[in-house]
Amino acid sequence: MKIVIAGAGEVGSHLAKLLSDEEQDIIVIDDDPARVAPLDANFNLMTVVGKPTSFDTQRDANVAKADLFIAVTPYESTNIVACGIAKSLGARKTVARVSHYGFMDPANKPTMLSMGVDRLIYPEYLAAREIITALDHSWVRNWFELHDGQIILVGVRISDKAPLAGMQLKEFASNTGNFHVSAIRRNHETIIPRGDDRMMAGDVLYITTVRENVDRLIELCGKTARRIRRVLIMGASKIAVRLIDMAGDRFRFTIIDNDIAACRKIPEKCPDAKIIHGDARDMDILLEAGADEADAFIALSPSSESNILTTLTAKEIGIPKSVAEVEDMQFIPQAEGLGISTVINKKLLASSSIFQLLLDADSSTSKCLALSDAEVAELEVRPGAKITRAAVKDLRLDRSMTLAGLIRDGHGQLITGNTVIQPGDRVLLFCLLGSLRKVEKLFG
Amino acid sequence: MKHQHLNYAMLLRVVGGLLAMEALFMIIPFVTCLIFDEDHDALVFGLVAAGTAVAGLAMMRSLKVHTTRFGKRESYLLTGTVWVVFSLCGMLPFIFGSSQLGVSDSFFEAMSGFTTTGATIRPAGLAPLTHGLMMWQAVMQWLGGMGIILFTLAVIPALNSSGGMQMFNAEVPGITHDKIMPRISQTAMSLWGIYASFTIILTLLLWFGPMDFYDSICHAMGTISTGGFSTRPDAIAGYDSDYITIVVILFMFLGGVNFTLIFNAALGRWRKVRANDIFRLFVGMIFLFTVLFAVAIFAGGKYDSWRDLTLYPLFQVVSTITSTGYTRPEFLVWGQFVLALTFIMMFTGGCAGSTSGGAKIDRLLYLQRHVRNELRRCVHPNAILSVRINGNVASQELVGKVISFLALYMIVIVVGGTVLAAMGLPTVDSFFSAFACISNTGFGASVTGYGDDYALIPDAAKWVLSAMMLIGRLEIFTVLVLFTPTFWRR
Repeated sequence: MKIVIAGAGEVGSHLAKLLSDEEQDIIVIDDDPARVAPLDANFNLMTVVGKPTSFDTQRDANVAKADLFIAVTPYESTNIVACGIAKSLGARKTVARVSHYGFMDPANKPTMLSMGVDRLIYPEYLAAREIITALDHSWVRNWFELHDGQIILVGVRISDKAPLAGMQLKEFASNTGNFHVSAIRRNHETIIPRGDDRMMAGDVLYITTVRENVDRLIELCGKTARRIRRVLIMGASKIAVRLIDMAGDRFRFTIIDNDIAACRKIPEKCPDAKIIHGDARDMDILLEAGADEADAFIALSPSSESNILTTLTAKEIGIPKSVAEVEDMQFIPQAEGLGISTVINKKLLASSSIFQLLLDADSSTSKCLALSDAEVAELEVRPGAKITRAAVKDLRLDRSMTLAGLIRDGHGQLITGNTVIQPGDRVLLFCLLGSLRKVEKLFG
Repeated sequence: MKHQHLNYAMLLRVVGGLLAMEALFMIIPFVTCLIFDEDHDALVFGLVAAGTAVAGLAMMRSLKVHTTRFGKRESYLLTGTVWVVFSLCGMLPFIFGSSQLGVSDSFFEAMSGFTTTGATIRPAGLAPLTHGLMMWQAVMQWLGGMGIILFTLAVIPALNSSGGMQMFNAEVPGITHDKIMPRISQTAMSLWGIYASFTIILTLLLWFGPMDFYDSICHAMGTISTGGFSTRPDAIAGYDSDYITIVVILFMFLGGVNFTLIFNAALGRWRKVRANDIFRLFVGMIFLFTVLFAVAIFAGGKYDSWRDLTLYPLFQVVSTITSTGYTRPEFLVWGQFVLALTFIMMFTGGCAGSTSGGAKIDRLLYLQRHVRNELRRCVHPNAILSVRINGNVASQELVGKVISFLALYMIVIVVGGTVLAAMGLPTVDSFFSAFACISNTGFGASVTGYGDDYALIPDAAKWVLSAMMLIGRLEIFTVLVLFTPTFWRR
């Protein structure tokens, strides 16, 4: 697939690398030669230096032939104009990154379409949604549900107290039968397990199940589900505002920020939140904000390091649920290793939505979840797809992917070796990065 | 940062794959031998091809590869290794075939072929080579012209990764590497596509003139690769045909133009072609040198017909500046000034990203603009002056790299020439042949007057010249970096 990415910032570069590794044809546009030079020299893609909103630049990048045009410069107006130009030149599908909820409003969709923008990525919105999911299901690290929870995939770290720890996959399956261990993350590496692999304490397990069995799973993992009420947020960032706006009155928020001007602005957007001015890295400030009674701590400051360390402090005080925004990719495994329960990364969230778009370009209802080296996606099976031709065990699936569950006629079921997938099913797929081509072959 | 181990297993596996491919190309001279009933050479090519294929496949299959990681260092090492290994295998037919050359001579011959230098070691008086061996010389030049690695990138999908990118950078001549397609394999395929179509068109055009089919193929490969291979000692001049001279001039010229530019022209992007400073300079230089040649010939009274003042100087100029190395017989009597001009053109070479050799006029343009800035700075020390090429400002790092390239280029010539002189060659000839080899021009050396080609040179000097050809073809850095401690230190 030919993909043009406008803007070689953090998100753009990440997408370019990721998609180039997935063997897509990538052209990156940016007006700063210094930003594209490292991409050009080290990755299998092409770069064009020029303004993304210039017709000439876009012609140089051959946008007319592009299947997908992704505008992810820091400025939403640039992105929208760039998409408009791309669409007029003949790009098949355009995606713009925005940073303002108004664009996402379904009522404004026709306006966006008329401007040539087919899809929107709003990383702050995705991040807020992810955090709310994490707060709703405090015992997991990741929660991904299809069709109102008919199928649920959770990522959960097990301790040595968990009944599951030390068990082999096949005995687990023969004992229960209601769970599908889709992947195991161990020592910073995600693997798709086989029957004789063992689940160990300290692993993050990605388990798929149906709704009725979730309570049983909580027990097996040695966790307790706890309702979260009081939430402490460090950093009055855009994500924080989005989060409070979206969460409604389910939680009680306290924001700590050391920028007095930002603090004074917050009540305009979040009238119900409590605001503390001060440095969240200061223990007294944390306690003043009510850290000893809080149920969750969310670190959303611009510095990944501060977020990780302050979250650790919060854990020490005894706040059970912790969420940290970690924008430096190489810190994500470290943060996960330190026991931070949910890590938020805007690049991963953005790339995940693009990934979904590539896999299932026609469906806008599909969901996806990005992990640092894997993707979880919901895919609709089309008639004639290769995957429908035989039972799953006879498909000779590559070890970089697994089919976890499916929704058929509105009901969820887990996929076993004997399942035959039918057209119209919505399949929950877990795949490691780099396997997009294989997935396309199966579902194409 | 701590270096990792070089991924030798993966490296050898790729080399194996490349050898298997070289074996495939040996089928061309093998078939030629069969057609012309040259049984001995047919057997030699058959055996060498089989041996190369077996060795290559064995390397591909037997090695256990733990990781497919292929970084910058592996790419440099691979590129250097491949060119040497290709020459080592490519020389076998000369050793065992009817040519009966020694090891040093054969290696020189093979390296001269792959690097498109086109210099030959055999004295002109000997019986001509068989059709098969000559075809192999032409094929070697053709392969080396656009690049062995580039060809591989086009055909082996496994290299379509970041590793392949690095290999592309290490082999393709030029200052910056313009990609013309998003993926490296597509870029390689487009470049080879242009190259192969030119070869076919040229073959047909030559065949259309007074040349038989076999000679047309060989000359087409020797011309478009700017290697300068010819099946006859008197080369193109021997056909005494204006038509052939003009066709060859045109395709030597195309061989000296940046293929990315040709690609853009083929897509009708004339804006880019017109805006290209380097292309304009290339055309301007050819024009200027042709006029200077004509003036020199006219002043010396060395002309018989209009051709001696127009067509032949133009042929000689294009042949030299693109480092093809075809010579007109009249060249020898044109005088000292013409020879001096030849030196300059051997130095400049054609455009970067072409099949030509030399230091590339792109770099000279950088140098000229940088020097101009330095002179201005003497008067206006606070002025901000930039090197602008094709309308874009070049970074200081790039200018620095270009200038150190040019300095290194000169140093290699001086060191090479000195070493050759130490081996007993006349001084002028030492430097001229060092020059001709590093620029991959490879005139028949009668130009400088040591008799029959390079045959009088001692064996050790042949290895020195072979090394210089490789350094010139891979544009210095790729080869010299292998000899730095930083490259190997962990």
